[in-house]
Amino acid sequence: MTNITKEQRNKALAIISQTSDSKLETHLNACVRCGLCADSCMYYLTMKEAKFIPARKVDLVSSIYRRYKTWQGAMFPKLFHARELDDKTCEEMVDSLFGACTMCGRCVKHCSIGVDIPFLVKKGREMLAAMDMVPKTLQATVDAAINTGNNMGIPTDEFVDTIQWMEEELQDEMEDPNAGLFLDKTDKNVFYTVNPREPKFFPLSISAMGKIFYAAGEDWTLSSKYYDVTNYGYFNGNNTEATQIARNLYDEIHKLNCKRLILGECGHGSRAMRWEGPNYLKTKYDFDTLTVVELIGEYIRNGRIKLDKNLNDKVVTIHDPCNLVRNGGLLNEIRFVVNAAAANVVEMTPHGTDNFCCGGGGGALAMSEYNERRLKIDKIKADQITATEAQVVVTPCHNCVDQLTQINHTYKLGIIIKTVAELVADALIIENAELKIKN
Amino acid sequence: MSWYIWTSLAALLFCVVLLGKYFVRLLKKGPPKDLSQKSGNIAQAVCYSCIGAMSPMQKESAYLHLPTYSAGIIFHIGNFLAILVYVIIALSAIFSFRIPIESVTNLVIIILAAITFVASVCGLSLFIKRIVKKELRELSCTDDYISNLLCTVMLFVTTYSLWMFQFGAVYYITMALLFVWMPIGKIKHVLYFFFARYHLGFFYGWRGTWPPKKATV
Repeated sequence: MTNITKEQRNKALAIISQTSDSKLETHLNACVRCGLCADSCMYYLTMKEAKFIPARKVDLVSSIYRRYKTWQGAMFPKLFHARELDDKTCEEMVDSLFGACTMCGRCVKHCSIGVDIPFLVKKGREMLAAMDMVPKTLQATVDAAINTGNNMGIPTDEFVDTIQWMEEELQDEMEDPNAGLFLDKTDKNVFYTVNPREPKFFPLSISAMGKIFYAAGEDWTLSSKYYDVTNYGYFNGNNTEATQIARNLYDEIHKLNCKRLILGECGHGSRAMRWEGPNYLKTKYDFDTLTVVELIGEYIRNGRIKLDKNLNDKVVTIHDPCNLVRNGGLLNEIRFVVNAAAANVVEMTPHGTDNFCCGGGGGALAMSEYNERRLKIDKIKADQITATEAQVVVTPCHNCVDQLTQINHTYKLGIIIKTVAELVADALIIENAELKIKN
Repeated sequence: MSWYIWTSLAALLFCVVLLGKYFVRLLKKGPPKDLSQKSGNIAQAVCYSCIGAMSPMQKESAYLHLPTYSAGIIFHIGNFLAILVYVIIALSAIFSFRIPIESVTNLVIIILAAITFVASVCGLSLFIKRIVKKELRELSCTDDYISNLLCTVMLFVTTYSLWMFQFGAVYYITMALLFVWMPIGKIKHVLYFFFARYHLGFFYGWRGTWPPKKATV
């Protein structure tokens, strides 16, 4: 690592000086280092080293705050553990805040004080981003999204080809030439977004959702250019880039003049666009924003789709994506939909707001330099799944799907991993779909 | 009034002014300004954050560490009571009124002394834990030891003073040291704790996570 310059340091310190509300000051001063958060963190539970205790990650950021933003820290740094923002500190920050935290927020709920630890980890990442110290692999993912419109750098032609191929498959399956996966249509009710992993690796996920839209008689479209629901700018700590990525979808829904933005199955993408997006863009949305799980729930409640849960008769368990459940409030909605689509659902222990992260959150999946650590902590998730004796793990997040696939392979679980849309599509009764479209 | 009582009052003033300054600053900065569409009830979530979510059944930090959790709770109760005792004793010194030592009052004093004694033992146990446990030691800084030790010593001194019903120089100087350290060291969480619970309630409430709903399968 090169020596950090004064300019870099000033940029980083500006991050902890910008306080538009009392949240940052509160959390920077609230931790009492009781260490009781340790048992809530997958990294600590696996590695059993002090550097993985969430409070230690908090201290990395708050110690810099104390050094540069409090008189007592400036005068008596050793007494108050006020650290210089130097190369050593930065190195430790990169390793701990990028390489040892998925920002799942499990520690927050269990913190004896209530310190928002991932909020401070994110601030630390913002400081590192301001100093150009984001791990290269994560930055490459963000760069791809900025330069091509999607984080996997899929060329538009390739995406369009995939959609057309899936559309043909859908038409064959539905035996209806009007069944479609629509691209760049204007004035639609639904503007749908996907995780680029879907066209790249899991195209059947798109066709599953197309099948649900078809059964519901939905008026919908995808964009051929800006369809990426993910926003790794949320993870790399560069808010300018996060804003640009959020703006892509914001501008596209306006360009196509659609009414509702439906966030595809992606935990952090949903969070970044729904909860953080308006704050990045500094504007309230003038369109409805909801996740695909909520949309499917709406279809079921309104009778727009009919499901036969006996078509999914294997034992199913739910993996709760952190950004949709703990940090997104969808605990019951996911269960409502999964329960309507599967006959035999069992819960993991723990689950819901206490669930463990898949291990791929926080951009971990994109940072190959931490692969070994990531797969090591996944023993916890593997054990959780094994204990349920489930044959299918369903989760409404493609990053989780990818990580669970690696867990499945590494720990030889022999499970099937599905998205919620895939599970629902398998339970669909679609006799009346054509009639619905006509109506 | 003796010099040590004046010293403790000056320290108390320093503490109140500094904590008051933080408090006003936090109030001025205000709640988060969120432009996303709210999905829950903030007031209910903040209430839950301060009450239900603090239940030992809801926190791994409590139910996985019951001895530490219990010690922590008793330690905190003892500290609040000891400060209350100081306020009463200091007021009696300022306004020169005598606290009557009669049977009922005596019983109250014995109970208070018992609580502060148990709290001081709890404080000492937490202090020893911080020294003995390697990971906790690595996490700690000097402030952590000073803060704990000051509170623990203050509790022991309060216990002794209550027991003897003599509040002398040692008592007032100990209180003064605590008041000076409170807004400087980590004991300032006495203020930030409540704001942290508020922000947590705001965050989870905005998104509809809190108050929790039962996950039904």
